[in-house]
Amino acid sequence: MKAHTTLYNRSPKAALVLFCLLGCLNFLNAQDSTGVKEAATEAPAAPKKSKPVPNTFENIWLLDNQSVMVPTKGSFQLDFMHRFGTIDGGYQSLFGLFGGINIRIGADYVPREDLMVGLSLTEYNLTWEGYVKYAGLKQTKDDKIPVSVTYYGNMAVDTRSDPTGGLYPHGSDRLMFFNQIIIARKFGDRFSIQVAPSLTHVNVVQGYYGGDTTADGKSVLGKEMKHDHFAIAFSGKVKLNNTLNLLLNYDQPITKHLTNNPNPNLSAGLEINTTGHTFQVLVGNYRYITPSRNNYYNNNDYKDGQWLIGFNMTRLWNW
Amino acid sequence: MKTKTLSVLLLMTTFIVVVSFTFSKQQPKPWNVPEKNAKMANPIKSDAASINTGKASWAKNCASCHGKMGKGDGSKAAKLTTHPGDFSAAATQGQSDGALYYKISEGRDDMPAFKKKISDEDEIWSLVNYIRTFKK
Ligand code: HEC
Repeated sequence: MKAHTTLYNRSPKAALVLFCLLGCLNFLNAQDSTGVKEAATEAPAAPKKSKPVPNTFENIWLLDNQSVMVPTKGSFQLDFMHRFGTIDGGYQSLFGLFGGINIRIGADYVPREDLMVGLSLTEYNLTWEGYVKYAGLKQTKDDKIPVSVTYYGNMAVDTRSDPTGGLYPHGSDRLMFFNQIIIARKFGDRFSIQVAPSLTHVNVVQGYYGGDTTADGKSVLGKEMKHDHFAIAFSGKVKLNNTLNLLLNYDQPITKHLTNNPNPNLSAGLEINTTGHTFQVLVGNYRYITPSRNNYYNNNDYKDGQWLIGFNMTRLWNW
Repeated sequence: MKTKTLSVLLLMTTFIVVVSFTFSKQQPKPWNVPEKNAKMANPIKSDAASINTGKASWAKNCASCHGKMGKGDGSKAAKLTTHPGDFSAAATQGQSDGALYYKISEGRDDMPAFKKKISDEDEIWSLVNYIRTFKK
């Protein structure tokens, strides 16, 4: 009996469409600005080019989500992230600090303005991620563009060993995809808000035989969960003082599956910033770090007190 | 007699050498700013909003070396080979906005270049405005 079915992903198509859309927006924008520049050489009185609003968020990470930000061209960043076990184990696991820890190490690079690429390895199921982030639109100081819009795409590969081939009959079964549109706005010096709908695609789902048969008597294999999963994240930043921010976040699953519906994630954290360094310490429900897995598989429930502690540390270099 | 004069001379030379070394460490080498940059006008008005921006950026990016009030007494200052200077003094305050902007953007030795780290030019101008508040 084969307990898996494989459906090839459709989500890259959706991603492509979104990506092109953003690309067009950016292209129009660029056209516009060159137009202004040319006009400026002819007539010095022409209006100045709109400037983007800086520091909507101060890091590419916003707890378990990506923020709308892409660092300046040529930036290189290393990420070190930890998620501890859930605190409900109490003293026996020292509130999760001695329980199942998950670690991610990542590297991010910005080869051209507004485009970031990255690679990371997460301890859970030895998951490699390759990802791209593209800041298509940026909120401007004169409010000509009222929001910043960024696309984030992430492909994850589960590379844990499977000697008998029972876990993953096909290599493509190891893949998960995550596509997200991030929309953010900064209000004054102290507040920023972000809304980010996402689509997760999982290449392989659990199957079951529910007793249905086809006309020629074969059993029909049902699927416990759909391959595609929509979700939306709401996040915000409150500046407490010049180097300290409060970060708040809520992730809501949208797609309804037959069973194993993932739980929402509620999280809050403090962020300390100095040039090149960011430290975020948080309490939340997500433990996988990999975005597709967090959105599709989260079984920690805040209603049952399944909170965990985590931190993100980053080091940024600019050349 | 002779040995006494010799040892006095030796002592004096050592003294001079040591003193001149300590002084040479504090004596800043001249930092020439291209005239074009020094003459650049500050496009950002020094109002409350700009001072606030400058202050936040100072705490995040500069205070670790230059100190909270720009006295050069930040927590990292002791590890630097050049003294970051006292920004309340005329040596710094006498410079044009354009010159300060240039030095912050380009950096030199221990002083990092901030033009990539602070992508918003207006924020650097706000830092210049904030440095003016250190003036005695
Ligand atoms: C790593 C320590 C360090 C940091 C961080 C730092 N500086 Fe400096 N800064 C120095 C040192 C050292 C000098 C003296 C450099 C020299 O003369 O070669 C200096 C010089 C300067 C000067 C020139 C002063 C003069 O009188 O000519 C300015 C202006 C300045 N810094 C502003 C800033 C600002 C603004 C920031 C934050 C955005 C900053 N610095 C961050 C170490 C630092």
